[in-house]
Amino acid sequence: MDVFGNLLNGFQTALTLKNVYLCFIGCLWGTVVGVLPGIGPLAGITLLIPATFGIDATGAIIMLAGIYYGAMYGGSTTSILMNIPGESASVVTCIEGYQMTRKGRGGAALFISAWGSWIGGTLGIVGLMLLAPFLANVAVKFGPPEMFALLLVAFILLGSLGRGSFFKTVPMILLGLLVGTIGMDQLTGTMRFTHDIKELYDGIGFIPVAMGAFGIGEILSSTEGTLVRFVHKVKLRELLPSREELLAAWKPIFRGTGLGFLIGLLPGSAHILASFVSYTLEKRLSKKPEEFGTGRIEGVAGPETANNAASESAMIPFLGLGIPTGPAPAVMMIALMIHGVRPGSLFISEQPQLFWGLIASMYIGNVILLILNLPLVSLFINLLRVPFRILFPVILLVCLVGTYSVNSSIVELVILVVSGVLGYIFRKLDFDIAPFILAMLIGPALEMAFRQSLMRSAGSFSIFLKSPVACSLLVLSCLLFIWNIFRVVRPKKAWEKALEKDE
Amino acid sequence: MKVFVKLVSTLVTFLIVVSGSLAADYPTKPITLINPQAPGGTLDIQARAYASVAEKMLGQPVVVVNKAGASGMVGGLAGAQAVPDGYTLTVGSVNIPNAIEWEIANGRKPPFTGRDFICIGTFTMSPTILIVPMDSPYKTLADLIADAKAKPGQLAFSSGGLYGMSHLPAEIFAMAAGIKIRHVPYTGGGPSLTAVVGKQVDFSVNYPANSIPLIRGNKIRGLAVIGAKRLKSVPDIPTTKELGIDAEYYGWVGLLAPLKTPQPIVDKLRDVTKKVVEGKAFVDIIEQAGDEVYFLNGEELAKYMETESKQIAKLYQEMMKEAPKK
Repeated sequence: MDVFGNLLNGFQTALTLKNVYLCFIGCLWGTVVGVLPGIGPLAGITLLIPATFGIDATGAIIMLAGIYYGAMYGGSTTSILMNIPGESASVVTCIEGYQMTRKGRGGAALFISAWGSWIGGTLGIVGLMLLAPFLANVAVKFGPPEMFALLLVAFILLGSLGRGSFFKTVPMILLGLLVGTIGMDQLTGTMRFTHDIKELYDGIGFIPVAMGAFGIGEILSSTEGTLVRFVHKVKLRELLPSREELLAAWKPIFRGTGLGFLIGLLPGSAHILASFVSYTLEKRLSKKPEEFGTGRIEGVAGPETANNAASESAMIPFLGLGIPTGPAPAVMMIALMIHGVRPGSLFISEQPQLFWGLIASMYIGNVILLILNLPLVSLFINLLRVPFRILFPVILLVCLVGTYSVNSSIVELVILVVSGVLGYIFRKLDFDIAPFILAMLIGPALEMAFRQSLMRSAGSFSIFLKSPVACSLLVLSCLLFIWNIFRVVRPKKAWEKALEKDE
Repeated sequence: MKVFVKLVSTLVTFLIVVSGSLAADYPTKPITLINPQAPGGTLDIQARAYASVAEKMLGQPVVVVNKAGASGMVGGLAGAQAVPDGYTLTVGSVNIPNAIEWEIANGRKPPFTGRDFICIGTFTMSPTILIVPMDSPYKTLADLIADAKAKPGQLAFSSGGLYGMSHLPAEIFAMAAGIKIRHVPYTGGGPSLTAVVGKQVDFSVNYPANSIPLIRGNKIRGLAVIGAKRLKSVPDIPTTKELGIDAEYYGWVGLLAPLKTPQPIVDKLRDVTKKVVEGKAFVDIIEQAGDEVYFLNGEELAKYMETESKQIAKLYQEMMKEAPKK
């Protein structure tokens, strides 16, 4: 049967009252776990698995998938309004989103990110629907050498992420790399800087550090001034993006969709990488890169779209082959297995009703999320009117509870608080936090992929040249590196001199 | 001083009486199951399935709490140090001896051992399947062994992580078959499977729930079950024992209680666990997830853990000998 006939059947499955209801519950819960800092889609899905025991397999997967992509919508909210990444893929959204809030454009940022999420999500499903079986077989070829080459590109891009000067970004990247080495070396079992603290064996958690350095650091520095510093009345017109903002946002949205979709196919926490690469790409392509860091809408639109598209394509290896490549699809797969459905390479042909029902429900879910999120924009914006002496302690509490709830770990709470203090100090010294956090994420993954490749090839570097994908990505990273050096040594433009004077 | 001694002895008597009476009508409050692995793993699903059935029999809610970290040692330690009143139990697995023996082999003192627990019983005990890419030149296990012997140290296998549940069976197999192979760890069972399907490695081992769907979908081939008994779901795959290779390893998952838990409570838990594991509701969930239920009672599990720990310790010693000096 053709795609449209299948899709029509899928809508028949998904549009029953029960399944729409389940889809709605999933999306609502997903938005909630996305908004709440600390709790991500993984914990959200796991918590609701027992609730699906009484539902059929189709209903269960519709609901659980709703949580997963719903969380990507919710994640941007606290990033934009309070500088606290609500979900790990929204770390880069903090950079521009929060600056927009400070300029009184938070509503527009939320609005654009909701639309971007919708476009990225919906186009992502189209890709998933048409290309799943094909792409699943391509994605498995992407091994450690290719991963290493891609991460190297990302790593070199880190250098241009910082808003400050090159010499203030590099120390932060190095610091991030250092912190990233903490924990057990996953290839030999050697302990690095763990000091016999068992909780550090797995390394320093990304989420507590991101939440601490961004969110708690922000709260600490806000309390210095008058507590009513940037509370302002919001008019309805301010909630909507201006013409210029819309014009600036539409290209990043489509670029973010394509980029996110491709990166989402990769194993691991690809959606974090997707949003970050999209941000740096927008900065590179922008005619005014100097304004990045002061609240450019492109820096919200691109990444927020990319992480939604990535969340859809991350389901391809899981639906097309039955191999979950990220933690959240892994939980969804287990939920399906409990319902007696074993996803495998025959999943789409053996379970057409389930697959197409899920696809159709994802279209519906994305519409539900858009309807759910647009009115929430004004509600969330109004949260900023709550006096900060009340709002901040509440946020702090939510951060602490959220972090603790994931692993019931006191050590993670300590990490959260310490990174908060560090984040505050960095802010005072005008060092950028984003390169630090992303280096912490990319560093260990880069090292792992590099060493995995060499373990496979028994130490021969030719493994990187044998793969055309890896090889071309390596060439790209060389070019980027040379260009970065050129940027540092070339004569400065007027605006850059002005910026340095300010510093 | 006298007053103090009196006070303490009264308190102790009081506690004994109270705990005795508590044991009689145990449980009177919700029970916590510590899962030492991250949400969403095999352990998690079995723990949640167990909790959903057991709470009906115990008449109290059973709550699963994830306490992941250090290959299960963080959660395991919390479970071993919990108040031994039967209200905090641990979901144990083969990962516990794996991690403890690794600490010992590396000259560190493990924070706890299997002896810090009273075994209640197992839920499952799965062997692994040795798998190769679909167009691999190895049609049988003998092909693979012959080639590995011809090119020592050239063949590479993927695992879900160093000294994890999908690393050790491959090493045990290699030791029994007398071959030298290279280990490429991946971050988790999913990526490790991807590596075989995508021909990034020569072979891998994985649990039936993950590998059988791919075997049936003609993406990978199963060469042998690492164990003694063929699997019901793939009866045509021979076992290593049949093929004359003395390799066995089972990824068990079960329930543990802290040492010093009062005997009446242990008895009740053992009784309930046996009923849960043999009951239809639990069997259905586990079988649908692609596993087979396998019940060992407390004593059997304790005995099994002893021999298993010895096997793992011996394996680590062999591996350390070969590993380059750090």
